[in-house]
Amino acid sequence: MFPLVRFRVEDESMRPTLEPGDYVLVNRWAYRFQSPKRGDLVVVRDPETMERFLVKRVSDAAGPTQVQLAGDNLTASRDSRAFGPVSIDRIVGKVWMRLKR
Amino acid sequence: MSLLYSLARLLDRISPAPIAYAHCDIPCGIYDPHHAQLAAHTVVRMVDLINQLEKPGPNATVEQRQEYTNKLTRYIATKEQHSEIAKSELRILWADYFKPDHLKTFPELHDTMWKALKTASKARQEINLQAAEELLKATNDVASMFWKTKGFETITTKAPYPTERQTVYPKYK
Repeated sequence: MFPLVRFRVEDESMRPTLEPGDYVLVNRWAYRFQSPKRGDLVVVRDPETMERFLVKRVSDAAGPTQVQLAGDNLTASRDSRAFGPVSIDRIVGKVWMRLKR
Repeated sequence: MSLLYSLARLLDRISPAPIAYAHCDIPCGIYDPHHAQLAAHTVVRMVDLINQLEKPGPNATVEQRQEYTNKLTRYIATKEQHSEIAKSELRILWADYFKPDHLKTFPELHDTMWKALKTASKARQEINLQAAEELLKATNDVASMFWKTKGFETITTKAPYPTERQTVYPKYK
């Protein structure tokens, strides 16, 4: 499996870090030998809709197997405040590079 | 536009990138306290109309009684409906629009919302002008918080409706 995969960003919960239309390159191997840290930008599978991906920031590495996620634009974000902590195995990878439009 | 961005765009033509949502809710993001304010005005208006309605005296004809009952029933039905609209709109703002962060600026938010919903129920249950006016005031309070979160100043002025009560509007730039 090639480690890098790209995603296109939609919606506004990560503004001003990510704007709709930006791309992110995600490293799927980032957490093979280390755990997610607070402040990491990650792409995860939506805990409420399996086939959808979300891009969020790790707001707290709550435990060895789960993290809390938050949007940078806190007044317009559905995140761990709504769906609770997210299991680490739902993380696709860590954002390695942002391609701004 | 960077070279890498253009490259990503080009790759999209061959195989579109999956989407990572920086997601809010559905997300429509379309909220406005005006619906709640408008419904509250209707409730006030219905109470005004009910109070202005001439009650049939002991010598009223059947037709007069019928007309009275018909009007009263229609006013009450509308009051029921619009107090429920006010409640529904307030709940949407409370549950979907306002976020924990807003509480830092408006610590009174929960209390205002909770009382507004209670007042709306009272305005629905009774023919009570005070409750109807309190409901309107509560929707105005919510509106002024809402517009502040959007970065707009507000003005309080007489509404251009027969109710003519004070109403909060945003000052659009």
